[in-house]
Amino acid sequence: MSEALKELAEIISAKLAQEITSTEIQNGELILNARRDAVCKVLTFLRDDANCQFKLLMDVCGADYPARDERFDVVYNLLSIRYNLRVRVKVTTDEDTAVPSVTDVFSAAGWFERETWDLFGIYFDGHPDLRRIMTDYGFEGHPLRKDFPLTGYVELRYDDEQKRVVYEPVKLTQDFRSFDFLSPWEGMQGQLPGDEKAEGNA
Amino acid sequence: MSNNQIKNYNLNFGPQHPAAHGVLRLVLELDGEVIDRADPHIGLLHRGTEKLLENKIYIQGTPYFDRLDYVAPQNQEHAFCLAIEKLTGMEVPKRAQYIRVLYAEIGRIQNHLMNICSYAMDVGAMTPFLWGFEEREILYEFCERACGARMHMNYFRPGGVAQDIPAGLTDDVRAWADRFPQVVKDIETLLTENRIFRQRTVDIGEISLEDAQDWAFSGPNLRGCGVPWDLRKSQPYDSYEEFDFDIPVGKGKNDCFARYYLRMLEMYETCKIIKQACDKLDACVGEPIKCTDNKFTPPKRAEMKTSMEALIHHFKLFTEGFKVPAGETYCAVEAPKGEFAVYLVSDGTNKPYRCHIRAPGFAHLQAMDFLSKGHMLADITANIGSLDIVFGEIDR
Amino acid sequence: MGVNSKPGSQALAPIPQGTEQDVLLKAVSDEIQDRGFVVAQLDKVVNWARTGSLWPLTFGLACCAVEMMHAGMSRYDLDRFGMVFRPSPRQSDVIIVAGTLTNKMAPAFRRVYDQMAEPRYVVSMGSCANGGGYYHYSYSVVRGCDRVVPVDIYVPGCPPTAEALLYGLLQLQKKIRRTGTLFR
Repeated sequence: MSEALKELAEIISAKLAQEITSTEIQNGELILNARRDAVCKVLTFLRDDANCQFKLLMDVCGADYPARDERFDVVYNLLSIRYNLRVRVKVTTDEDTAVPSVTDVFSAAGWFERETWDLFGIYFDGHPDLRRIMTDYGFEGHPLRKDFPLTGYVELRYDDEQKRVVYEPVKLTQDFRSFDFLSPWEGMQGQLPGDEKAEGNA
Repeated sequence: MSNNQIKNYNLNFGPQHPAAHGVLRLVLELDGEVIDRADPHIGLLHRGTEKLLENKIYIQGTPYFDRLDYVAPQNQEHAFCLAIEKLTGMEVPKRAQYIRVLYAEIGRIQNHLMNICSYAMDVGAMTPFLWGFEEREILYEFCERACGARMHMNYFRPGGVAQDIPAGLTDDVRAWADRFPQVVKDIETLLTENRIFRQRTVDIGEISLEDAQDWAFSGPNLRGCGVPWDLRKSQPYDSYEEFDFDIPVGKGKNDCFARYYLRMLEMYETCKIIKQACDKLDACVGEPIKCTDNKFTPPKRAEMKTSMEALIHHFKLFTEGFKVPAGETYCAVEAPKGEFAVYLVSDGTNKPYRCHIRAPGFAHLQAMDFLSKGHMLADITANIGSLDIVFGEIDR
Repeated sequence: MGVNSKPGSQALAPIPQGTEQDVLLKAVSDEIQDRGFVVAQLDKVVNWARTGSLWPLTFGLACCAVEMMHAGMSRYDLDRFGMVFRPSPRQSDVIIVAGTLTNKMAPAFRRVYDQMAEPRYVVSMGSCANGGGYYHYSYSVVRGCDRVVPVDIYVPGCPPTAEALLYGLLQLQKKIRRTGTLFR
């Protein structure tokens, strides 16, 4: 499996030297890091090239790494039934930069991109119908971003006077209990209290 | 004749509709009774599973997978466990693998029974529902015997299964698997040659291989096009390569009827796997059922009474959980509905950094507009039923 | 409950089970045959009718819907309690909230509830509907369906077994009988 993947990685990176920034094989899975503006070209190549034939776009999803310059990853998982192989294409982006939509290459991308837009706020350029898909009509924010709180900002109840369902700021009787499991010894940075005295004496 | 323009009619289907298989809202644009556009509104069961997973340790996360596709919960857990095992490099003992295969296949039958029977009910046949559900009850009993829960088993764990199956279970399962094909045959006599059922399904919701690939179909919906693509065969996991079974594929058009019939045939094949799994399980009674590394799987209760180390392991596992090395993986299983996959990113802590769930139904439902265009309004229910849709996994 | 041929004689006694019930029912029907009418207390008759034909709405939201279907199917057979699932809120008396109620679904749920005719009852099935359950802390889940509609019976479990739902529905019958009012 990994031999085939290595070969494939070489073929792809030779043919798409400009578009692919790096390739790696992790856990027996091939990952291609692509340039954002070339994603359509990369996916078209992977779909049509005789050595690839990745005809199914199984999955598109986002991932958020707030510490990075371009905080979002958009991950495309492709499958080739012909060669029984999978490949993962990754591009990075930030909140303001749009990623070209691949709906013209794979129809299946439509909802996956809508979902990524909804949950992460990654904008897809050229998407025919970029509406929210998962969250409530009129939802604000993008829930899967790391800075979005788990319980959100609003909650809902039926108001007897207005005779309709109303939104209110979230009030929890007990907060979600999140424990820091980093051991105090591993998490300790720098000196222990009292250490500075020891150094002065020595 | 006056040349008045007749405006298209908009119809709202759902979210509370018995044939919607859950909480689907379809906004239909009708030209007379012919569908011009179908716009499925999903997310009415969006529970934020992916966000919750990021906030819970790995073993607290597995039950969420039960609740995704609640018709066949075992298969979802399977994908998550495989993903974790891939990242941590856990060795799963053979017996655990066979147990998982057994229950994954039981889940497949649960799913197909539910799908076919409710599908038949949507197009007008009540009896299969009554017959199929009696069989599902029996399958629920098997689940209950293994783990105590009828539906949401939480039985597959990273590294194996939660506990060994009770003695005598395999005999009962085997006896059931011997008997069950007759039930499928009985249901077939009600549907396969039934004129009404055929009229409602043949030539409805047809899709070609190119289109099916373009829309990322998988599972029975893709095999209906004649591709023998099954992850159990092509990318075997958990000892599926040791089992002898066939993959039914469609021979002609991939329409609603083909997809129905394929599921029927799959149930016969699944019975074969179940019987083989029972035989294999009988041959390895008493072998370990989970990874022996106590850094990942809890020790036996009896051991904890005597061993301090076991007690510490137990405490650590159920408070802090285990840590998964940093990395990412895309792990897919052949769920009854198609390719169910987990894209798991770990940052080396005890909680997933990102866990994306690839639900087969999501891609299938997306093609609803494509499949329904030009069909009559009544064919919508046939289409929904044949795609095998469950909202737990689509909305997540 | 109790349809009595002679008012006051055994007004509060429940209908006995088994053969005694048959005797009683036969006495009632004989009386109707004989005299053409039967005298009973109105509220008792009404409650007898209400509890005897509680028609639930097929309001399946998530996992619990499967158990609800199992309760309605051959093994548990809700039909024997006069419970027949109806697809329309206008025809049903009780709504079983079977599954997680999300923010997006809540307005639709309330609308369905508003469409039901009085007297209407709500059974909250499963921990998600009871209080959010496993999804309590999620950003998109209503923490209990009692925030949206008044609930009569809570059935705990995740999901409650079909038997548990059956028990819950019998409790609802009991509650209706005990409350015993004409207007709700």
